[in-house]
Amino acid sequence: MSPAERNQLIDDLIDQDISEADFLRLEADLSVDPIARAAYYERLQLSLALAEVAAVRPEREAPLPASSRRALVWLAMAALWLAFIGVTSVWFWPRQRAGLAGVESTANGHAALVTQIDAVWSGMAAPLIDGALLPPGMIHLESGLAQIELFSGVRLVVEGEAKFEILSSMEMRLARGRLRAHVPEAAHGFRIHTSEGEIVDLGTEFAVDAAGERAELHVLDGEVEWHPKAAGMLRLVGGEALGLAPGNDPTQMPADDSRFVGLSEINERQKATQETRRKAWLQFSEGLRRDPRLIAAYRMDVPNPGERLVPNLAASGMVKPGAGAIVAAKRVEGRWGQTEGALDFSPAGSRVRVNIPGRHSSLTLLCWVKINSLDRLYNSLFLTDGHEVGAPHWQIMNDGRLFFSVKRSDGHGTTAGGQDKYNFYSPPFWTPLLSGRWILLGAVYDVEAKTVTHFLNGSPLASEAIPEEFLVENVTIGNASIANWSEPAYRRDAEFAVRNLNGSMDEFLLYSAALSAAEIAEIFNQSRP
Amino acid sequence: MTDSSMNEDDFVALLTGVQGALRLYVQSLMPGDASAHDVVQQANTILWKKREDFTPGTNFKAWAFAIARYEVLNYRKQQARDSRLVFGEELEQIVAEDLAERDEDTERRHEALKGCLQKLRQQDRELLLHRYTASAGTLEEFARRTGRSKGGLKVTLHRLRNALLSCIEKQLTPLKFES
Repeated sequence: MSPAERNQLIDDLIDQDISEADFLRLEADLSVDPIARAAYYERLQLSLALAEVAAVRPEREAPLPASSRRALVWLAMAALWLAFIGVTSVWFWPRQRAGLAGVESTANGHAALVTQIDAVWSGMAAPLIDGALLPPGMIHLESGLAQIELFSGVRLVVEGEAKFEILSSMEMRLARGRLRAHVPEAAHGFRIHTSEGEIVDLGTEFAVDAAGERAELHVLDGEVEWHPKAAGMLRLVGGEALGLAPGNDPTQMPADDSRFVGLSEINERQKATQETRRKAWLQFSEGLRRDPRLIAAYRMDVPNPGERLVPNLAASGMVKPGAGAIVAAKRVEGRWGQTEGALDFSPAGSRVRVNIPGRHSSLTLLCWVKINSLDRLYNSLFLTDGHEVGAPHWQIMNDGRLFFSVKRSDGHGTTAGGQDKYNFYSPPFWTPLLSGRWILLGAVYDVEAKTVTHFLNGSPLASEAIPEEFLVENVTIGNASIANWSEPAYRRDAEFAVRNLNGSMDEFLLYSAALSAAEIAEIFNQSRP
Repeated sequence: MTDSSMNEDDFVALLTGVQGALRLYVQSLMPGDASAHDVVQQANTILWKKREDFTPGTNFKAWAFAIARYEVLNYRKQQARDSRLVFGEELEQIVAEDLAERDEDTERRHEALKGCLQKLRQQDRELLLHRYTASAGTLEEFARRTGRSKGGLKVTLHRLRNALLSCIEKQLTPLKFES
């Protein structure tokens, strides 16, 4: 548990808003870690001191929503607006064109979910992960926070419980909940439909609270128009807010920035969460390293300034391959967002050169990759030089299928039809939505079960029996490349096929054994960012 | 009164001296529970009644803690139906040992806190202090009353507490000069 997470749990405990699972985790941490206990005492003491300060203060009004304060002057002004502007508020807004189906893309949506904090969604067909596109239709965020970016550039922080629908990149409906919107210049005119009327932003930042009976519109910066259903438009500038009760005239009040969670708060918290997960993973991977079946753990996140080497962290393998040599690849952000935590293999010729000694039978290959696109005919993951007998090749076809094979013979007609190997393909797994996202790919060559299984994000994609005549019980690897394919060494012809992976990788694991589906699922769960 | 007991003034001085630690100890066993205050009062009454049992020269804090713990257990028994989460006995023991050894710097921290509170934005300060008033209620109720979402409130309160703690830490750390 990282200090940041632990401190949050301590606060949750003191606020008496902690789940039993978190309570038990915190208790375990406090039991063994004096630093954790010191933090616990410190935070308890702070609450005691704050309670003391609060107790001796003169009784003050609770920090109620600003809506409880009325400003009659402004009310009169509002009435004037209503009278004069009245019905002139006609829209020249490009209506959302429904069902404009594209021909070249299968992606659907107007907005991406950037981050979420303790978010609970209901009615979702698939779990919403960070980076996912928000599905069309009404979305129900039961609790927690979500940061959403519309394609127009509008950034939203939505606080649960909320019900909303993204109609286009410039238009949404808010049925319930609280949100804060930051509207860049390119998205001026962004509008939100509510049950009472429409909000049109003229830039730059405002918030809506439709969590209770009465809705509120707070203009934090810039200018916003409020178009009530029943009357004319009102224009608000930064610092102004409106209370909107059904059937009543709007009431004016000062805007209250502090009531709405901002982007910086959410990002601070998200970074802490990510760091927590990274630390947990580091601990988990310490255990993995000691698995005697693991012969190579090339970790591109380990800093080695100037060395251009990728260390092999496998600690107990039967053979001990040395460090991999980085060729051309650049250091880029890793899957936890840390700088220089991965290698980008998109520059021409990029690869990590390794030598894996020994004879093996079953194999498991796993790697965390972030693929930009599958724009080569063969997109390399792990390939031995050339393609010798008994050597494995693992790559992705440009149609999105995973490819794995071990060469059976030298091709002189020893097998049926003269085939020298059998290629195991997965069904296509790739969609453009996976572009730029960290995914865990895996292949298991199981000599005992005589199967090849492809994995995506801890789940099997496809499993196929190895035909008897193509079963290779003695797998040898030798010189090989990660994320590229090298033709046999000493070849002087400078022309080469472009097969380097157009993307990044930050971890490559090679086991001299077949891992079970459950083990791979566990590795995925413990190592996902 | 035998030689081994002490006079009342000395006992009051001892009792006064451990109030901060006692409050912290009781609260650590019942985090976030507003009744901790009553339990401390109850423990004080019992300590006073049992003052004859205390042997001067032994660890007063440890003795007071043992009695306070008994009061916490009593309280829990009364609340038996309340399924609040409670630390295991082992951790409670460790906490008692930790706090018995700890020197509380209550006065200075309190002063530092007051200064640090002034550095917060007024609406933040109001929000935070109201969280600690008796009427604040549960986090959920408090969120509703202050017109916030629970998730948003959690993030905000946590940030404010972190800001205060690091500010207090800074105030209490003497300035270091380069040598």
